[in-house]
Formats: sequence, C-alpha cells, structure tokens
Amino acid sequence: MSAGLLYALAGAALFALGVAGLILRAHPLRKILAFNVMGSGAFLVLVGLGQRDGTADPVPQAMVLTGIVVAIAATALALALARRLLEHGNEREETDA
Amino acid sequence: MLDPLPWLILLPLLWATLAFVRGPGRGGRLAMAGLLLQLALAGGLAGQVAGEGARVYAVGGWGAPLGIDLAVDGLSAVMLLLAQAVALPLAVYARAYYAAHDDGARYFWPLTGTLLAAMNALFLAADVFNLYVTLELLGLAAVGLVASSGGAGPVTAALRYLLATLLGSGAYLFGVALLYGAYGSVSLTELAPLLGADAPLAVFLAAALMLLGLMLKTALFPFHFWLPPAHGGAPAPVSALLSALVVKASFYLILRLWLDLFAPLTSVAAAQFLGLLGAAAILWGSLMALAQTRLKMLVAYSTVAQIGYLFLLFPLATHTGALAASGALQGGVMQALSHGLAKAAMFTAAGTVILSLGRDDIARLGGVSSRLPLTLFTFALAGVTLLGLPPSGGFTAKWLLMSSALHSGQWGWVAVMILGGLLATAYVFKVLRQAFLPVEAGTKFKPVPRMLEWPAFLLALASLLLGLRAGEVLSLLGAG
Amino acid sequence: MSLAFDLLLIAALLWSAGRALTTPDLFRAVVLFIVFGLLMALAWARLGAPDIALAEAAIGAGLTGALLLDALGHLRSSIRQKSGLIAPSAAHRSEGTGNNTPTYFLNGLVIALSTVLGLALVWALLELPEPAVRLPELVAAEMAASGVAHPVTAVLLNFRGYDTLLEVAVLWLALLGVLTVARARMPGPPRLTRSSLKVPRLLARVLAPLTLLVAGYLLWAGAHQPGGAFQAGAVLAAAAVLLNLAGLLPGGATPQWVLRVGLGFGLLVFLAVAAAVMGQGTLLQYPPAWAGALIMLIETGLTLSIGLTLAGLYLALSGATRK
Repeated sequence: MSAGLLYALAGAALFALGVAGLILRAHPLRKILAFNVMGSGAFLVLVGLGQRDGTADPVPQAMVLTGIVVAIAATALALALARRLLEHGNEREETDA
Repeated sequence: MLDPLPWLILLPLLWATLAFVRGPGRGGRLAMAGLLLQLALAGGLAGQVAGEGARVYAVGGWGAPLGIDLAVDGLSAVMLLLAQAVALPLAVYARAYYAAHDDGARYFWPLTGTLLAAMNALFLAADVFNLYVTLELLGLAAVGLVASSGGAGPVTAALRYLLATLLGSGAYLFGVALLYGAYGSVSLTELAPLLGADAPLAVFLAAALMLLGLMLKTALFPFHFWLPPAHGGAPAPVSALLSALVVKASFYLILRLWLDLFAPLTSVAAAQFLGLLGAAAILWGSLMALAQTRLKMLVAYSTVAQIGYLFLLFPLATHTGALAASGALQGGVMQALSHGLAKAAMFTAAGTVILSLGRDDIARLGGVSSRLPLTLFTFALAGVTLLGLPPSGGFTAKWLLMSSALHSGQWGWVAVMILGGLLATAYVFKVLRQAFLPVEAGTKFKPVPRMLEWPAFLLALASLLLGLRAGEVLSLLGAG
Repeated sequence: MSLAFDLLLIAALLWSAGRALTTPDLFRAVVLFIVFGLLMALAWARLGAPDIALAEAAIGAGLTGALLLDALGHLRSSIRQKSGLIAPSAAHRSEGTGNNTPTYFLNGLVIALSTVLGLALVWALLELPEPAVRLPELVAAEMAASGVAHPVTAVLLNFRGYDTLLEVAVLWLALLGVLTVARARMPGPPRLTRSSLKVPRLLARVLAPLTLLVAGYLLWAGAHQPGGAFQAGAVLAAAAVLLNLAGLLPGGATPQWVLRVGLGFGLLVFLAVAAAVMGQGTLLQYPPAWAGALIMLIETGLTLSIGLTLAGLYLALSGATRK
C-alpha cells in the first residue's frame, strides 16, 4: 500500500470524526475545531488519493493550499462571531444583575 | 468586442474592493453603476446564448483538464439575469434603507459586491473544485451580511448559519476529493463522459456527500433550521438578497449536478426521496409561517416552503420521459425566478413597514393599508405569485409542474401543490387582514422615502409580469 | 521502517484530533489541536508536499492556534455557566435538559452514522481503480510555458490562477466579516506588564526584521522551489502577531485608509492583471514572455495583502475585545 493511499484512509477517518464532532459538540469553539479536522481529512484524501501511485501531483497540492487559506478565513469569522455572542451574553447578565 | 462573460465576475469584485478602500458605509453609487453595467452584461450574454447557443470559456487559455473552464448555457444565462435583475432594485432600496437606519451599513457594499461576484462565478463555473471556492465565497459573504447589524439575535443566527454552511461545503469538498481520486480531473466536461452507472462506490459516495452538503446550504427540510433566524433577523435588504438569490445558487448547483454529472447515477427512489423532502418543506414551512407572530419570520418560513416546490422537479424529471422531464425543469426554473423576484419584493416591503412602524408584530399592523398603500400593494402582488394565481410567474411555474406531474402519472405531487397554495393563501391573508384594520391608538407612522417603496413595487410587478413573458424565458432556457 | 513511521504518525493524528474533540477541558483541546496541526505538517512532508507543510505549520497550526488561544482567553471565563446560550447546535436536536432519552438516541444515531460513513469511505478508497486523466503529466508538459519553475506555483498562479483569485477574495472577505462583527474600541493596554515586556520586546525587535527577510526570501523562492505568496504572507502576519504580543503594535477594528488600500492592494493588482491581459486573449491568460514577471508582480501584491489580512484577522479580534 502506498503512503498516499495510507494517508487518504486516515483522511477518510478524520473527515468522519470531524462531521460527528461538528454535529454533536455544543460549544462553538469545539465546532470550529471539528470543522478544521473535517477539512484536514478532505485535504489528505485530495492529495493522498491523487498520488496513490507514488508520484507527486502538484494540482491537488495547489488546491489544498487554497483550501487551507479558505479554512483559516472561515475559522477567523466563526471565532469573531462566537466572541461577539459571548460579549452579548455577558452584557445581558450584567444588566440582569 | 467586449466579452461579457469574465466581466460578470470581475466587475462586482472590483467595485466591492473599491467600495472597501473608500471606507465604511461608502460605495453605494459605485455599486449601483456596477450593477447597472452587470445587468447590461447579463442581458448581452443571454442574447449571445439565445443566438449562438452554449459555449465554454477557457480561463488562462489552458482549457480543461489542466486549466479551469467557465461555461454558459441557457440555465446559467437565466440565473445570471435573475441575480442582476434582483440585485439592482435591491441596491436602490438598500441606499434608502441605510440612509434611514444605518445599523449594519459599514461593510454592506463590499460584502454585497463579493456576494454577487461569487454568485455569478458559481453560475458560470464548470469545474467542481472551482465551484467549491465560489460556494465558500458566497457562504462567507452571506454570513457577514447576516451578522452586519450586530445584535445578539443576528450574531447567533449568523454563527449557526456559518457552521451549517461550513458543514455543507466540507461535505461537498470531500466529494470533490473522491471524484479527483477516482478520475484524476475536476472539470465537469471531462468528468461527465467518464461517469457511468458502473462507477465505483467512491463516486456514489461523492455524489451523496456533495448533494447532501448542497441541500444543507439550500435549507431543504429538514436542513432548514438555520434559515428562518438568519433570513428573518438580518436587515431587510440582506434578507431579500439571501432569500431571493443565495439559496437559489446552491439549488442551481444541485440541479446542474443532478441533470449533468450525476445523471447516470440517479435513481427513481432517490428522486422520490428528494420530492418527499420538498413536499415536507412545503407543508411544514407553510404551517410554521402561519404560526409566526413577527412579519419577517413569516416571510422567512414562507421561503422554507417555497424552496420545497423547487425539489418537486426531481421526481418529475428523473426517468419519466422527455415531455414530463422538460416540463418539470421549466417549472422548477420558473419557480426559482418568480420566487426570487416575489420574495425580494416581500422582504423589502416588510422592511419598509418595520422602518415606518418601528416594530414587526403581525397583530399590530393596523393602518398599513391607509398609510403605506403602495407597500401593502407590493406585498399583496408578491403574495399573488406565491399563491400561484394567474398571470404571475408563480402560476406558470406551478402550472408547468402540475402538468408534468399529470403526464408522468404522479398525482400525489399535485395534491401537495394545491395544499401548499391554500396554506400560502392563509398566511398571506393573515398579514393583509391585519393591515386593513384601522390605525391603533398611539401608533405613529414615520414617513418613508419613495426610494424604499418603488424598487419593491417594481420587483413585485416583475414577478407578476414574468408569467406573461414566460415564453421568452423558456426559450432562453432551452437554448443549449 | 518508513511504513512504521507513517502508521505511527497516522495514529498520532487520529489520537490528537479525537482527543481535541472529546477532552472536557477547552484549553487542552486547543493545545491538542495545535499539536494536530503540527502533525499534519509532518504528514504533508511525508507526502512530498513541502509547500503545504510550510503553509500548514504557519497558517494551519500557527495562526489558527494563535486565534484560538486568543479567543479562548475570552471565552473561558463564561464557558461553564453559559453552555446553553452558546449552543448553536443543530436546532432539530432536542434542546431541553429534561428529556435526555431522545438526545442520547440522536447522539448515538449520529455516532453510528458517521462510523458507517467512515467505514464506507475506507472501503470505497480501497477498491478504487486507477484514474483515467493524468494531470501531473500535463503539468510537466506545460511547465516551460508557465513562467515559473516550481510546479505547485505554476498551478496556483497560472494553470488554476483563477481559483487563487477567488481564494484571495475569500480571505479578504473573512476580514470584512470580522471587521463587521468586531466592535470598534480603543486599543487597551498590552496584556503583559511593563517589566515582563522587556524580554519579549527585545525579542520582537530582533525577530520582526528577521521575519521580513524570511518573507522576502519565501516570496522570491516560490518561483522555483517550495514557498510563495501565501507562506510569505503568513510569516509577515506572524511578525505582526509577535509585535502585538510585545505591546509594540496595537490592535483595532477600524482600519484607516492607508491600511484599507494595503488590504485591498493584492486583490486590485490581481484584478488589474486579469483584466489587462484580456486585451490579448482570455481572462488571466499571460503572454508567455511576460508570465514570469506578471506572476511575480501578483505574488508581491498578494504577499503584502495576505500578510496584512492575516495579521488583521488577529489584530481586529484581539484589539476589539480587549477591555
């Protein structure tokens, strides 16, 4: 079995793990982690499966670079929203008290 | 001669960036100039497609599978026209709206420009990985717009929307990875001839993941949970953009994949399943709309219901014979167009009422008929399309879908559509009845600028007149 | 030997990801996630993808880690009492605490379904035949016309440059979203006290110019070996984060116009080149003689804007919420 296929299999497992985590975990920070795990799984399949015959394939490698940038963009936006949400929560409690 | 195709993507991106550089809240006039040009470009492109048929555009001159291809055919030309035609009046409305109510105006124009660039790029894409990038661009722009007013409700809704849309695009991306692994290409035109009914399991899984991810993004029942708070809680111009256009973009992609790439893999059972989800969406969305006490939430749940009609086309178009299939496709596309125009009108009219009254309780709309007659008329006209009464586009859509159901002997869907129409009548009249009550004591109507009322009215009128011009639309759709 | 290493690395990847999602303590979860990112970088190196390894270490583990840790500082205090408020979990799941049976049932269902999904995917990957289209050969055949000597850069900025154009827009868009959400506040005092800042400040003053050099090198190297605008931009952003931590660079949520020009610059250069070459051919079709120079021009603009944007994502968040 080539290294590519091996990492692709790991990617499939990571993807399933990420999907379950994204649906099941309640805390937004945990959901953000799960989304990143899910993305990493997809990236591993994209590159690993593409080069399962052992030769490097620059096309999926470039796609994963694109994907990593998209993932941090989404992560940053999600974190900004989660933080804003907690600020609102704190203010509500301060006014309640 | 100037080729309109690439400019439909570059132009909105350009004015979005320039609006950002000009500073928070700026760029409205730039956006309107850009949108006017885009409408002309989309019209020009539609003319080309009607005359010369579909064509492929090789970005960078490389051509698939090495490079990325763009492609335009009747379906994408129609969707491009819809997007620009809805966005232009919404931009006029948004300028007046944010002048009266500046909450969330800071980055509205750059976000909207990027949203349109993403949508146009999606309608023109012919490469499954490129489609992933456009989906992310579209999703993040939409989430940014939902969060723009910054209240606790919209921020919660935006986060829920973001996580749903990320789950959807993650599943889609995984499908792309499987397709690339199976065939070594991400180009739709390269992939289509390689896919057959004997495809390996990985390709079936890819199809399932991609379609499920897109269904989540389209808010098809039972994946609709994120939609009502996001669409109902956003500022009115944003609600209109999202409900009219954004959910249609992922629906368009489902349609394109189902009809082209995954056609050899589709089965009657899968199509019936999609139809059942659509039927459930119609009934559940309509009942929930009827139960709402806030005006914008009612309109948002009505979107959940109207999305359901779009999915009725799958059981009618899959393995049913050419006549029923083409009728179903035409009906589905007409539904997307007429709902796009009508829902933009309905959300903007609701926004005008809220600006004037300062609240959106349906029970306290008394006096709207006498103080905001044009806006109420707009709401009613848009309602006519949702109900599916002639001569509206909604009538043509439902007529086409029903005759397709009769041709293929699937009576059940006709019953669902009739029931959905009755429920829509109930929730539209729930609003109208309250609006015709006398003004409540102590209620003050703030005067609203005309630029709020007229764009909404034009959108509603367009949704009504669409039925009369259905012939032209359908011939463009059939042109390659 | 190498198979044993791969298996060990994969086990570590699965373990760190699984623990990051299940450990009760959020701080530990974030640390485990950063470890996961670093292990991913190692996996990319094993797969012969040094470009991704660099990007994963800098962006995936580094910057994402910094963002997560910074957010955690704010979220942490309110985690225990407010887990109900901040649960944008799928609304179709039972929300009430009174009826636990359906929740358990649904959780079990999700776990069962995702296990089936994982197993089906593994099965599907194992029985997959060889692909029909072979892109690496096509890339190799066209390398001479691409204007650069490094295949990944050729794909990223020439063959599939249009993807990259949209991707740059995605990154810029995320910053727009963050600026929309982040509340403009006066930048607060640095989080460290004066005396404790001395060493980090010294370190930052030495490291910041050094990172500029590294970024410049990565940008230049991208044309013929691993590296390029994204890695260089990430290094620039790291310098900004470092300066911020040392109290030398304030955060803030409302960029002034010079900064706005900088943030939009990369996208504008990219759009200008894309439009300018259309006079000769199609969108983003570089004339072969100019390809190398145009790609360098785009990459330089991108390095600046990506560096500013990535730094902006961090600074807007940390500056906006620090009281």
